[in-house]
Amino acid sequence: MAEELDIIDQVTQQEYKYGFTTNIEMDTAPKGLSEDIVRFISAKKNEPEWMLEWRLKAYKHWLTMDEPEWQNFKYPKINYQDIIFYAAPKEKIKLNSLNEVDPELLKTFEKLGISLTEQKRLTGVAVDAVFDSVSIATTFKDQLKEKGVIFCSISEAMHEHPELVKKYMGSVVPTTDNYFAALNSAVFSDGSFVYIPKGVRCPMELSTYFRINAENTGQFERTLIIADDDSYVSYLEGCTAPMRDEHQLHAAIVELIAHDNAEIKYSTVQNWYPGDKEGKGGIYNFVTKRGMCAGVKSKISWTQVETGSAITWKYPSCILKGDYSVGEFFSVAVTNNRQVADTGTKMIHIGKNTRSRIVSKGISAGKSHNTYRGLVKVNKKAEKARNHTQCDSMLIGDRSGAHTFPYIEINNHTAQVEHEASTSKIGEDQIFYCNQRGIGTEEAIGLIVNGFCREVLNQLPMEFAVEAQKLLAVSLEGSVG
Amino acid sequence: MSLLENIKQDFNQYKEQAEHDAFFETRKHAFDAFEKLGFPTIKNEEWKYTNLKPLSDILFHNTCVKSINTEALLSGSVLNTITANRLVFVNGSFNESLSNIIEKDKSIIITNIASARKKHQVIFEKHFGKYAKTETEGLNALNTALMSDGAFIHVPSNKIVEHPIVIMNVIDASEMNVLCQPRNLIIIEKQASAKVIESYISNGNNASFTNVVNEIFVDEHAQLHHYKLQRQTGESYQNNYTQLYQEANTTINQVTLTLDGTMVRNNLHFYMNGENCNSLLYGLYITSQKNHVDNHTRVDHAKPNCFSNELYKGIMKDKSTAVFNGKIMVHLDAQKTNAYQRNQNILLSDEASINTKPQLEIFADDVKCTHGATIGQLNDEQLFYLRSRGIPEHEARTMLLNAFADEIAEMIKIPELVALLEDEISNKL
Repeated sequence: MAEELDIIDQVTQQEYKYGFTTNIEMDTAPKGLSEDIVRFISAKKNEPEWMLEWRLKAYKHWLTMDEPEWQNFKYPKINYQDIIFYAAPKEKIKLNSLNEVDPELLKTFEKLGISLTEQKRLTGVAVDAVFDSVSIATTFKDQLKEKGVIFCSISEAMHEHPELVKKYMGSVVPTTDNYFAALNSAVFSDGSFVYIPKGVRCPMELSTYFRINAENTGQFERTLIIADDDSYVSYLEGCTAPMRDEHQLHAAIVELIAHDNAEIKYSTVQNWYPGDKEGKGGIYNFVTKRGMCAGVKSKISWTQVETGSAITWKYPSCILKGDYSVGEFFSVAVTNNRQVADTGTKMIHIGKNTRSRIVSKGISAGKSHNTYRGLVKVNKKAEKARNHTQCDSMLIGDRSGAHTFPYIEINNHTAQVEHEASTSKIGEDQIFYCNQRGIGTEEAIGLIVNGFCREVLNQLPMEFAVEAQKLLAVSLEGSVG
Repeated sequence: MSLLENIKQDFNQYKEQAEHDAFFETRKHAFDAFEKLGFPTIKNEEWKYTNLKPLSDILFHNTCVKSINTEALLSGSVLNTITANRLVFVNGSFNESLSNIIEKDKSIIITNIASARKKHQVIFEKHFGKYAKTETEGLNALNTALMSDGAFIHVPSNKIVEHPIVIMNVIDASEMNVLCQPRNLIIIEKQASAKVIESYISNGNNASFTNVVNEIFVDEHAQLHHYKLQRQTGESYQNNYTQLYQEANTTINQVTLTLDGTMVRNNLHFYMNGENCNSLLYGLYITSQKNHVDNHTRVDHAKPNCFSNELYKGIMKDKSTAVFNGKIMVHLDAQKTNAYQRNQNILLSDEASINTKPQLEIFADDVKCTHGATIGQLNDEQLFYLRSRGIPEHEARTMLLNAFADEIAEMIKIPELVALLEDEISNKL
């Protein structure tokens, strides 16, 4: 027992490993949000006129909206006039050579364990690293170019491929979609843009590391991925943020579009700073992620491992518009101390013979609360839609909470929809069984939790699976008393 | 005139008689709450799928109308064939001549609220308004403000009521639109036991809005079977709020059968305030035409070592819609809770729809909770099996649907009634 308590102390008192600050002079906008700030951001990024108009339209709509209140948690009101909406490293960095990158920045990435050079050499992953708001290095660009794949920052895409950006940006998540989406549309700083041409199977996993650095900066990323007919792409997104005392808002948008027979696989590992044991500090992760299966037999698959952030509030969704399209959602959400997660998905069946699958695993420890909220909607004309949902929760410690709010709206009688959910604690008998066989309590919990989440972890690409397993172990080992 | 003005007018009638009515303070208090809360709108998360708007333009009469053909209506009901204690309410007011109490033990009180208020004041005041919330539920407040009459059942300690008690509500809308507010209070003391059937039938083509509140208190080691039969025809709207409050070691078996009604909204709320409680909730809803049935259930596990099991089944036909919203709430420290919840639906037509929301909210860690929801059609293999044995398709379908529905009807522990209800279900199908 004493040993177990030690482990609990160790884990619960463990300092956030990735908490450090990089001292680089920042080119920042004044605090607050106004039409001028929107213009400032647009001008800073040297954007075309139509982009500015788009932003202003979003900003005007945002002004008319109210912050949502239906969520299953409370957070102090965000003062939008106290946020810096734009911050960019002052030194201009040329994108084609890593050697020219500020050594301070490279050090930061090294501490995070994503040394660009290493990755380039060993793993063959092209990394579009986002440091605060501006992409600082993009690797493997030439190799992708050969195949015709466009992988660049959104600001770059705006200039080089305006027709694509114009056509697709906001087509899945309209500027008027929700409060935070409107905010993002008005002030988004940068993000990634991916276009996979017809018939191309992207030769490597595309990946971005996001990182929030400057104090008091909101991060407003935007990702747009378009997979044209018969193409395939797997995209990885991973996040770490340094330790801060004040809450930081992260309101990103991710839009995916899959055309006929195309497949997009989007994986996230999120371990942003969750705040300290008393819930002070930490990131507010309020993200709108949505994929559109526009074409026949298209497929979009979301996989997420959420271990960080003070509040995680997002619902990666699929609109299954094309006939025979498939949507998938695999999620592991771990909360500890006073963290909150309100996450899940929406599967909107519009086309005929569409299928969706949801697997959600929630683990809550300490005084945290973990909510699954999901919508499965079958429209009137969506014949023979099929959905299977499974959401399991695991509770560790008697002050944690697990909640499930599935919404199932069926308007077609040929639909077949199943939902199942269960909640349980880590069994004392399971731990005892392991102990008996010489496996320590700490390791046993690791085993049980990893087993509990296996279905989801198996969906992750190799590189991420390893990191995710480590993260799970770090955040939960020994939390059973 | 709108429904709201209607209600104000009705309340003013009570106001005029205020000095003769010791109960008026309670009414006034509730009415103030109602004025503040108003009718729930679809903006309210709990009313997301049920819109009360169509009600607001109907001109209702809260006046008690004497019905001419109640007797005929009653004799046609399956409930008339079983041996039971009967309390009959017509448009919310008590009809003594049609009621019949066969219970011989005089310590068991089976009467109407209006007379209990005077004769059994102590018990009445101890329990009335203690379980159903008026501060947050607008429709409960409305019921309390305007309540007409209802059943009052008090079973003292160690008594068993031999025959079922039938609370028969007849809504007669043959002459005008009817608005009524029945209110029932059921108290089962320690180690006592009873079976109560709450039934709603209606007559006539005018509109009716029945806003019911049931308060049920079950003391330690007691048992209650509570069956609700909703078979209102015509343009009938019903909001039925039932609050069951359980002390330790009690068992409640609750069955809700909704076979008809233009719009039916049931709020069923169990609160387990002691250890080792059992709560069983079963429901069947069969909807047709453009009808709408909404079942909201909530089970509060406030103490450790309790068990709850819930199964709701639905069959939707024509252009009907159904809603199921089940919430299991496991409070902090309610360890060793076992809670199960299932909702199964069959959609029979292109235009029928179902919205289901099975929810779990868990604040304790040592629990076993599961919930599940399915929506589908009849199993093709089962159909094929029957047809390959020479059963025509239509018959095979009915057979499967009946089997699906009867699972719920069989939870009613009055065998002679089950058979009759099963007939009614197959007619409906």
